[in-house]
Amino acid sequence: MTRQELYAEVAPIAAQILRIPQFDSAVNMHSTPEWDSLNHVRLLSAVEKKFAIEIGADEAFKLTSADRLVEYLHGILRGEP
Amino acid sequence: MNVETLPLLPHQKSNCKVELPYANYHELLKAKVTEAPSREFLIFPETDRHYTYQQFYEISLAASEWLRSEVRDFGTIGIIFRNTPEFLAIYFGAIARGITVVPINHDLAPAEIRFIVENSDCEAVFYDPNFEAKVASLKPQMGMAFHPFADVANLPPVDVHKTEASLPRVEPSTRLVIIYTSGTTGNPKGVVLSHMNFILDGIAIADWFELTPATRSICVLPLFHNNGLVISTTTTLCAGGSIVFVDPKASLRSFWALVDRYGATFTSVMPSILAALLMLPFQGKRGQIKGIICGGQLLPLSLAEKFEERFGAPIFEGFGSTEASSYSSFNRFPPERRKLGSVGVVLPICDMKVVDDEDNELPDGTEGELCIRGPNCAIGYHRLPELNAKKFRDGWYHSGDYGLRDAEGNYYFRGRKDDLIIKGGEKIYPAEIENVLSQHPNVSESAAIGVDDPILGQ
Repeated sequence: MTRQELYAEVAPIAAQILRIPQFDSAVNMHSTPEWDSLNHVRLLSAVEKKFAIEIGADEAFKLTSADRLVEYLHGILRGEP
Repeated sequence: MNVETLPLLPHQKSNCKVELPYANYHELLKAKVTEAPSREFLIFPETDRHYTYQQFYEISLAASEWLRSEVRDFGTIGIIFRNTPEFLAIYFGAIARGITVVPINHDLAPAEIRFIVENSDCEAVFYDPNFEAKVASLKPQMGMAFHPFADVANLPPVDVHKTEASLPRVEPSTRLVIIYTSGTTGNPKGVVLSHMNFILDGIAIADWFELTPATRSICVLPLFHNNGLVISTTTTLCAGGSIVFVDPKASLRSFWALVDRYGATFTSVMPSILAALLMLPFQGKRGQIKGIICGGQLLPLSLAEKFEERFGAPIFEGFGSTEASSYSSFNRFPPERRKLGSVGVVLPICDMKVVDDEDNELPDGTEGELCIRGPNCAIGYHRLPELNAKKFRDGWYHSGDYGLRDAEGNYYFRGRKDDLIIKGGEKIYPAEIENVLSQHPNVSESAAIGVDDPILGQ
């Protein structure tokens, strides 16, 4: 899956949880008021379910922007450690 | 120096004998650098940046040199950063020059940030470029400089001795920070705290919990609040320990993994964080954390018991407020000495008492307003003389919080005076109702509020 496709796949999840109309490179935890601590947990759980993956606790705290989340997904879905 | 020899405000005097070992916060940092320059001091897992005491001291001096070229000594600056090295570099750099720091919540709307910057008389604002969009809307409206600061690595190295020699003499009573707190109505109010306030509160809490250079704190609260600045930062610094800083919004799922990876032994949280952690899987090591400080809201006893049973981490409740630097009382340490449900006994730097509506001191077991006095109490509210006269009167800070003391000297927090529900003359604390609701297994959080009633009042 390309990065562009990943943005598109995550967008409906982000729209539902973070209530944002668009999920792109401009989106990050600090520019999105709804992306608070509880919604961070909800967002990652929904992404795990969608892609049937498990996001490690060692990584979860770094995934604070759309770019970082998509980059992480891109790597893990390609089988990168 | 003996605190009694300092020019104290009436509400900063107490019956305690208190020694102030450092004249200012920079002296505190320098003393710890001298003790163990190569000891690890600050850790930022998100960007994998680690700093020893010596390394960060030099960074703070470099920041101080930059500030010297932009702001006058003893001026005031606003800072808008996340929990990053850049926040702490500007903070330590500024206070070395006697500059008052106004930490600003980056989640506030531009209009709210503008109010704080103008109300506190900031001469300049330093900010994380990630907040450029927010700051950009303020710049044209405001007559001061805005300085983006992306990375401490961009600060030019300095000659340590030359910069140290350029630092002004900063007194214990010099303003250190103005921390804005939200009220129930109107604009936020700025609480002015001095170097003496933070140092004494930090030392008292470090001693209370027997923190040592081996202590490693994990800070999951924002640095723009006094809790992050005093409990995590100042208290651990006073012990010569090290601090792991995590973004508060991203920390919940990773909390125990970070505690394990960095060997954290001490932290400070709000009750809502404990409730959230209880809902998440636990893969950590029971008993790694030796103390969790908890305050800011009422902690339901059932929540504390469930948390301790599952994680093996003792919770220490305390009573505090920004106006008293942070905490003024704590449950006794070690854990077996605690009285659960209590906010503990008063710290040995201040006095507390309970008063009625006419300011008469009440006997043990009687509920009233909790008051504090001592050198941890703030200089006052910034530019709010009427509020200062109301809250800092008769040599005491009147907290607006209700509670009582038992015969053993343990204090119990009942709730905010403003939140009290008075039904037909009967006083009901929202927490009394919330505590019952929270015992139900399907209730994670609850809130009780008074509703107007034509007969009973509420």
